[in-house]
Amino acid sequence: MTKQIRIALAGNPNVGKTTLFNAITGARQHVGNWPGVTVEKKTGRVSHNGYEIEVVDLPGTYSLTAYSADEVVARDFILEEKPDVVVQVVDATNMERNLYLTTQLSELRSPVVIALNMADMAEARGDAIDRDRLSAFLEMPVVRTVGTRKDGISSLLDAVIEEAETSPHHEHTIGYGDDAERMIASLVGVLETDQSLAARYPLRWLAVKLLEGDEDVLARIQEGPAAGRVQNILSSIDTDGYEATMADKRYEAIAAILPQVRTVNTRSMNSSDIIDRVVTDRYLGIPIFLALMWGAFELTFTVASPFVTAIDTAIAWLAEAVAGSIEPAWLASLLGDGIIGGVGAVLVFIPNIFILFLILSILEDTGYLARAAFVMDRPMHALGLPGKSFIPMLIGFGCNVPAIMATRTIEGEKDRLLTILINPFISCSARLPVYVLFAGAFFGQQAAGGVVFFLYVLGIVVAIASAKLFRSTILPGESSPFIMEMPPYRIPTALTSLIHMWDKGSMYIRKAGTIILFGAVVVWVLASFPYGVEYGSAESLAGSLGHLIEPLVAPLGFDWKVSVALIFGFLAKEIVVGSLGVLYGTGEESLSSALLADPNLSAATALALMVFVLIYTPCLATLGVIKKETGSWKWTGFSVAYGLIAAWILAFIVGHLAGIFSGGM
Amino acid sequence: MSCVCPLAFLSAGTEATITEIRAGKGMRLRLTGMGLCPETRVKVQCANRGSLIVSVGDARYALSRGMATKILVRGTQEAA
Repeated sequence: MTKQIRIALAGNPNVGKTTLFNAITGARQHVGNWPGVTVEKKTGRVSHNGYEIEVVDLPGTYSLTAYSADEVVARDFILEEKPDVVVQVVDATNMERNLYLTTQLSELRSPVVIALNMADMAEARGDAIDRDRLSAFLEMPVVRTVGTRKDGISSLLDAVIEEAETSPHHEHTIGYGDDAERMIASLVGVLETDQSLAARYPLRWLAVKLLEGDEDVLARIQEGPAAGRVQNILSSIDTDGYEATMADKRYEAIAAILPQVRTVNTRSMNSSDIIDRVVTDRYLGIPIFLALMWGAFELTFTVASPFVTAIDTAIAWLAEAVAGSIEPAWLASLLGDGIIGGVGAVLVFIPNIFILFLILSILEDTGYLARAAFVMDRPMHALGLPGKSFIPMLIGFGCNVPAIMATRTIEGEKDRLLTILINPFISCSARLPVYVLFAGAFFGQQAAGGVVFFLYVLGIVVAIASAKLFRSTILPGESSPFIMEMPPYRIPTALTSLIHMWDKGSMYIRKAGTIILFGAVVVWVLASFPYGVEYGSAESLAGSLGHLIEPLVAPLGFDWKVSVALIFGFLAKEIVVGSLGVLYGTGEESLSSALLADPNLSAATALALMVFVLIYTPCLATLGVIKKETGSWKWTGFSVAYGLIAAWILAFIVGHLAGIFSGGM
Repeated sequence: MSCVCPLAFLSAGTEATITEIRAGKGMRLRLTGMGLCPETRVKVQCANRGSLIVSVGDARYALSRGMATKILVRGTQEAA
């Protein structure tokens, strides 16, 4: 029978924990080159030498205090779930700070194994680390790993199994100096009287935390018999003073070890600093950011264009072949008009989606996007948002669902709510097909890239303006100060960026096969019934539904077909394109030429429609995550209502302005 | 120089030693975990009207203006 072991991966943010997790378990969790990607713990499994190992990836933390949600998750897991071994992933290029966490982990009583990760980067810059000596000092195994190349995984698992089997119980703790140690000893003496406490937690750790004034630990002992005497001891001392002393002692211990185990290559100003001087320059920073974004959308459009045309032709051919060869006619219509027309209209834009994701992946993997957050801090701050909320905004370009989950790294509750509420205005990739379709059809090859860029910028502007509005009305307050680690610049390998692109892009294909397929079939049914009506005519159910809400959107220039598409776009925004594909049918002409030929649609209407799709109600999945993260139906409902109203007003303004310039809507 | 001033006042390319962090306990502990605690030497890499990128040892952090105002430093000098 195989033996079971459970290990936890702990470590500072952005030290490559998730990369190592993927390398160990063969999972494909998303890795980001910025701190705070892992906000929930994830689990995976691996078999090694007859052991079944469960691996839990904990959120990255700098320490194990009780003052931030992710640190509590990490610390509670180690304390309560008692993994057989804790693997601390240590960034070999940043030893001092990483070892600070080690000093805290070692007090939690689980055996610790150090994975000295990114060892290749430390070596590349000329640092030499004596792992044996480090291991001797820390009294824990130290294994060299390079997560990106899957180096050292096997030795790491060997070390983990050995620790789990022998579970050596050495108390490798920091000495905090005579005074603090006396206090710790007397606290431990008192805590020992609480049997159940002593069975569950390492007493020395409890004492250290009490001495630091940790409120969470204080709450844990509150019900027990030791509470009164602990309170007595604590009331007579200055916990803030001890907290500072003990932090000093930990760093002192590290400072004593480091020179003995590491020889550092003296470095002058490195290339990271030089690039930073340029891209974060107070005048150049924002123009550089905008230029890069503009370039990204321009490339998304132009590079993808020939592929889009090719897929479009292939799908049109397929639809015609199906329509001509399948009996009975209703089945041919379901397959040709409904499924191929609807899902096909969405699949056409796969090249755009993949290229956008490739570019965003490259920007993120190099470390640039974290700088963009810094550059945007000043304008964001002026609007009452912490610069940190720019990262969820950037993630929102891919999909709003992970973006809203990423707001968990934002400390202030109001800041976080604000960042959640404005996130849906960041144009996610699901909206891109709508833009590409309409911009391509009505604005031509030359201008389409610019139109798409305009929509993305409009999304950011609406988000920022809404933030300003909410700050001065429903969520008053100052943005809380923030600090965020800047990852070093890394040259992404083609492979990692392509994998990154595939991970995000394949979600689009999966959606096409599920919710979009479902939406297309529903729209086809509505367009085909009641029995006997002309397919997709105004007399069909779809027509009645569209006519029902047409008066509401008529001032924007939208007819009933667009209305139906917008209703179903609520499920997922790609369905706007899918529904139009179903309603217009495919036949011999492509969807874009069918739209162009519709007398009810003009360039100005198309623009208004794109603006409306950008801003109106977030999709079902996004609403779900808003509900989950805010825990409130009120804010979820607010998000829907606000989005609809803002979309209507802006589509009206943009459509009519464009109408004036182009001569009528 | 021994005058004490907020980190936010420093310009790019200067170094200083942290003397005090005027923040609540939670934030102070968090900064300690990041290596920003009294008696550590920090170097300002970029300064953007109060927002900073500083390096501490091998780590680099972006600080908002508000945060940089809470950290007091002394011994400011041009980095070599």
